Amino acid sequence: MKIRDRQNILWHITFIVLVLLFLYPIIYAFFTSFKTLPEALNSTTKLLPKEPTTEAYSNILSKIPIVRITINTFVIATIVTVFKVITGVLASYSFVFFEFKGKKAMYFVLISTIFIPFTVTMIPNFITISNIGLRDQILGVALPQLADATGIFLLRQHMRGIPKSLLEVAKLEKTPHLKILRTIVVPIIKPAILSIGIIFFINSWNEFVWPSLILKSQENYTLSLALQMFVSSEGGTDIPVAMAISVLTMALPLAIFAFCQKHIINTFAQSGIKG
Amino acid sequence: MKKMKETKREKLLAWLFIAPATAAFIAFMFWPLVYTVYLSFLKWNMVAPTKKVVGLKNYVDVLTDPLTAKLLGNTLIYIVFLVIMIFALPYILAFVNTFIMKKGKGIYKTLLFIPSLISLVVGAIVLQFIFNPISGPVGAVLGRFGITMPSWSKTKGLVIIVISLVAVFKTFGYNFLVLLSGMSGVSTELIEAARLEKTPNRKIFRKIVMPLTSSTAIYVLIMSIVQGMQYVFTPIKVLTQGGPNDASSNIIYGVYQEAFGFYNSGKASALSIITMVVFLILLFLEFRYVEKGVYYEN
Repeated sequence: MKIRDRQNILWHITFIVLVLLFLYPIIYAFFTSFKTLPEALNSTTKLLPKEPTTEAYSNILSKIPIVRITINTFVIATIVTVFKVITGVLASYSFVFFEFKGKKAMYFVLISTIFIPFTVTMIPNFITISNIGLRDQILGVALPQLADATGIFLLRQHMRGIPKSLLEVAKLEKTPHLKILRTIVVPIIKPAILSIGIIFFINSWNEFVWPSLILKSQENYTLSLALQMFVSSEGGTDIPVAMAISVLTMALPLAIFAFCQKHIINTFAQSGIKG
Repeated sequence: MKKMKETKREKLLAWLFIAPATAAFIAFMFWPLVYTVYLSFLKWNMVAPTKKVVGLKNYVDVLTDPLTAKLLGNTLIYIVFLVIMIFALPYILAFVNTFIMKKGKGIYKTLLFIPSLISLVVGAIVLQFIFNPISGPVGAVLGRFGITMPSWSKTKGLVIIVISLVAVFKTFGYNFLVLLSGMSGVSTELIEAARLEKTPNRKIFRKIVMPLTSSTAIYVLIMSIVQGMQYVFTPIKVLTQGGPNDASSNIIYGVYQEAFGFYNSGKASALSIITMVVFLILLFLEFRYVEKGVYYEN
């Protein structure tokens, strides 16, 4: 018995070390953003700033339109999330509650888009967005991302958990499908929709590759692009400023998670893949 | 008669419900896919009004280019390292967390999940500073043990490790959570029975847990490879641009460079189609071994 207890403690220590290693970059970014540049360059393992300063944050405010950039990021993420949720809920309702020929094939075709690497769609989408005059516009970033295969997959998994008998009564009463969807299905899987929506939002908020191809002028940038601006110059990186933008970029996703972590963890732990 | 009309209406509705998602996928997934195949047979610089048909020349060029071999080699190193770090390691730890640890073990999945909420650009830049040989903490700690940390961004091999760590930071906790949920389907009585017979944990993992969680595991394994290849793109682009001397570039970054660095849409398209064929092989394997148990169980 004693050996097992000792083993148990050792594993807990292992996990605590692992957690610290994984959270260290976040903590490092937070504290470094309150250091002066010389201190950041010399502090190495000293985590806490000697004399905390908000210099880096005021630097950002004076150098780039950070408010505008944050709004851009927010608007893109909101558009993408709203559309992905609507197209996803509609499609998965159809896959779960309708019977039609070619249903399985259609589902397979939509889900298979998970396996199309972004390099395959990157050039044509870039050309399309340029041709319709949406280059360097936030709409051009959002437009190609209005549906999401992973979302359809997860929503379908959750809808399948709804007992069909619940819908039978409504169907007998000839309730229109849109009303069944709105008044029965959506309320039941609301927690799942919420957490899937949150994940869409955070992913879009963090997105880098596609916006970097489309957005060219600073006032249209998203946070990830603004962040890259401060490191691209060889060697001349201002560490506290880069860390301050990192903190601003992380703040919203972390805040959302702090409020809804139970929902999010449960959605990803229970749904999706079942052994 | 009325019944038939009704089922027809139902069918129309069914298609109407999937229409918005389908339209979005056709416009920005399937049509681009077809267009990329088309572009792979042409010589074009993405701006000139004329495109020249060159047949399979782009494919021949890509396959005979020594750079492609290098990119494929690097891609393989990335995959091996990522599979160990974001598949094998969390798989074993999920087993430990579920069946060996006692009390207070639930908090770890939530804490480890947090990095997956963080932008890859943020991850890339913060890790760049942490691994800075002069001012970063890792170099300082190694220095105390008398080890001089080399400049990782200029060291072949090491550059791939550090860039992969950005993807590890991003995906480890998510994979751990998914694998953990797979483990929850294994009955504890089975494990207890094996314990009573004094079966060592290693054997319990290999003989009981692995077979019972294989579909979750294969799913995570394949997603680790497919997404891992794309997740390392951001740190490559932000930190090294493929350098030094293409030592950190992979097949995905190679396509990007060919397209938006050299404006050679033909070669870029050919290389990305080759990438996708590799993905399709993985998809086939997924459906062969996983799909049966996962998507269509009813």
